[in-house]
Amino acid sequence: MLLTGAQIIMECLLEQNVDTVFGYPGGAVLNIYDALYEYRNRIHHIRTAHEQGAAHAADGYARSTGKAGVCIATSGPGATNLVTGIATAYMDSVPVVAITGNVTVDLLGLDSFQEVDITGITMPITKHNFLVKNIEDLADTLRQAFQIAQSGRPGPVLVDIPKDVTAKKYEYYKQEPLPFFPVPHPAETDLQHAVEMLKNSRKPFLYLGGGVTASGAAREAAAFAEKLDAPVSASLMAQGAFDAHNSRYMGMLGMHGTKTSAEAIKNCDLFVAVGTRFSDRVLCNAGLFARNCPILQIDIDAAEFNKNIDVDLRLEGDARQVISILLPQLPQQSHPQWMEQIHSWKKQYPLTQTAKAGVLPKDLLETLDRLTDSNAILTTEVGQHQMWTAQFYQFRRPRQFLTSGGLGTMGYGLGAAIGAQAANPEKYVINVAGDGGLHMNCNELSTLANYHLPVVELLFNNSVLGMVRQWQKLFYGSRFSQTTLDTNTDFCKLAEAFGVKAYRIRAKEEIEPVLQKALALREPVLVDCWVDKDVNVLPMVPSGSSVEDPMLKM
Amino acid sequence: MGEEQNEKEYVLSILARNNPGVLLRISGLFSRRCYNILSIVACQTEDTDYSRILIVVSGDDRIIRQVDKQVSKLVDVEKVTVLQPDKAVIREHLLLKVSRTPQTSEKLVEIANVFHAKILDVEPDSMILELTGDAAAINSFIELANPYGVLQILRTGAMAMEK
Repeated sequence: MLLTGAQIIMECLLEQNVDTVFGYPGGAVLNIYDALYEYRNRIHHIRTAHEQGAAHAADGYARSTGKAGVCIATSGPGATNLVTGIATAYMDSVPVVAITGNVTVDLLGLDSFQEVDITGITMPITKHNFLVKNIEDLADTLRQAFQIAQSGRPGPVLVDIPKDVTAKKYEYYKQEPLPFFPVPHPAETDLQHAVEMLKNSRKPFLYLGGGVTASGAAREAAAFAEKLDAPVSASLMAQGAFDAHNSRYMGMLGMHGTKTSAEAIKNCDLFVAVGTRFSDRVLCNAGLFARNCPILQIDIDAAEFNKNIDVDLRLEGDARQVISILLPQLPQQSHPQWMEQIHSWKKQYPLTQTAKAGVLPKDLLETLDRLTDSNAILTTEVGQHQMWTAQFYQFRRPRQFLTSGGLGTMGYGLGAAIGAQAANPEKYVINVAGDGGLHMNCNELSTLANYHLPVVELLFNNSVLGMVRQWQKLFYGSRFSQTTLDTNTDFCKLAEAFGVKAYRIRAKEEIEPVLQKALALREPVLVDCWVDKDVNVLPMVPSGSSVEDPMLKM
Repeated sequence: MGEEQNEKEYVLSILARNNPGVLLRISGLFSRRCYNILSIVACQTEDTDYSRILIVVSGDDRIIRQVDKQVSKLVDVEKVTVLQPDKAVIREHLLLKVSRTPQTSEKLVEIANVFHAKILDVEPDSMILELTGDAAAINSFIELANPYGVLQILRTGAMAMEK
């Protein structure tokens, strides 16, 4: 049928089963928004307060569901406002399709009003991007965008569409979504070699990364851990990929990993890494990482082998497929002494926390964990509260913990919570935030109110940029340059001004009743928790040190 | 040229779809990943939908192991080959403008003949020579022409074809 470009965009979104998009209108996307009005019963549009919020919301939608998230912005500043959100998705391999309007084709390249070369700008932070100059190419380009975003190692794709292309008419025929690109398979000899390595190990260490979540391999990874009789650690991106309640689970590894993980990597005789890129936050000092044992790495991205650290054996493929091939070939292993040692380290080195005043983040998160039965979706901003959330909330399953791991984007959490709540209306969605991060994108509280999204904004308010302050304490003689925040903001009043209910927690005994009340509301609510500014994130591996030697005190 | 001892030079042959911006995508990847491009040649192929891009890259083993994997990830890139110098023909193309006087003309023609270089243009006080060859031949040709006053050099990067 003959449709306008804008209508073709809507039809292509429907082909992909897109039910919700996030965006902000503007001149160059007027035609698209006119079509969104026409299709409003089939495609729900959430207008955020700022395009950055829309990009993070699309990311939160994608991370919480595994489906591609979609955001829409107008040309120029609308497009550039997406950039931080796109870069966030890129660093954490999240499938997002960003659609931007642009000036008409005849005005491209003339420094026209609200014109920006967004494909040029986003080239380093997208898996791929497109500028669609001809309406004949529009539908196929959008189909490819979804294919690229979701195939293999996922990532964001941007499609820039000049305004006249959305107005022109062209024949549209419905199509099935394109199949994902084929994934690589490891060579048979490498698989045999891997099985030998696994069989010969007496003290294996299984380390899971975000690729386990991306490939839907959580169940296979759990079976793998059992078969290998190995302790398990998960990266920040893989929180929930292995049930934190499982006694094999040691917590994170790396800069803020547990002492148990550190002892385990010091003593293991094989390090098995699945779906992980060995970020510098995990390796700490790369030269001192797992130097006494071989490393076996399973990853879908060939460029991640021998990038940050040399590995002894690589299996290139989808994590779920590769583990599924290895499982039947691997006889049941048994390492009772090794596991006993792990359990005794876990007893010896629990995560602890103390504070002079206010409430303890640990108490807040453990209470939240109990009240939500470890089942809520948690988003975070970036900093101390982010690490505490990963440490103290006992994630059960993948896609429960949405955090900006690679880029470390303050302001991510509230937008991501919007996307996660829109995709999971029945679930508890809680954004654990610091007051620094909330100040960055607090405008999105209005989005919660506008769309009645029952997100709990759990604010760890310590009036400082806590993580930077912690580094200043350690390495800069406690010269707190620009990290003591203005303490004048009354966050409860701020929330109320946006139409969001607000509560406050100032003492330990208030934690449970107030959190209960906030969770029971099922409407947007902010909980302002007064946290001591000198609680530190521990353990911590100072830069340059080995991952094996975390500081337990400071 | 690589200063560190373990730096080596490699020729990457990249077959890429002829989409707008493809050269920018490839060169941008090199710059943001801190790979060092020594020369780059881009040209159409027998199939007009595809371009062939030849890049001479210098780096240590770690970079060399990475670079083709990273380039392969670009959606517009169809195939990346790291050419082995003994299994490929590698040629560069040089245009060289050099000062001439009646006294030096004969010498310059002699050098050109030794290298099988072509004389493309002769002016009263300069001449343009053309040479195709491998990097070593071109380097020594320039070296021999240098004393006569080289005015301008245009030199392509490596064109390379697998045997």
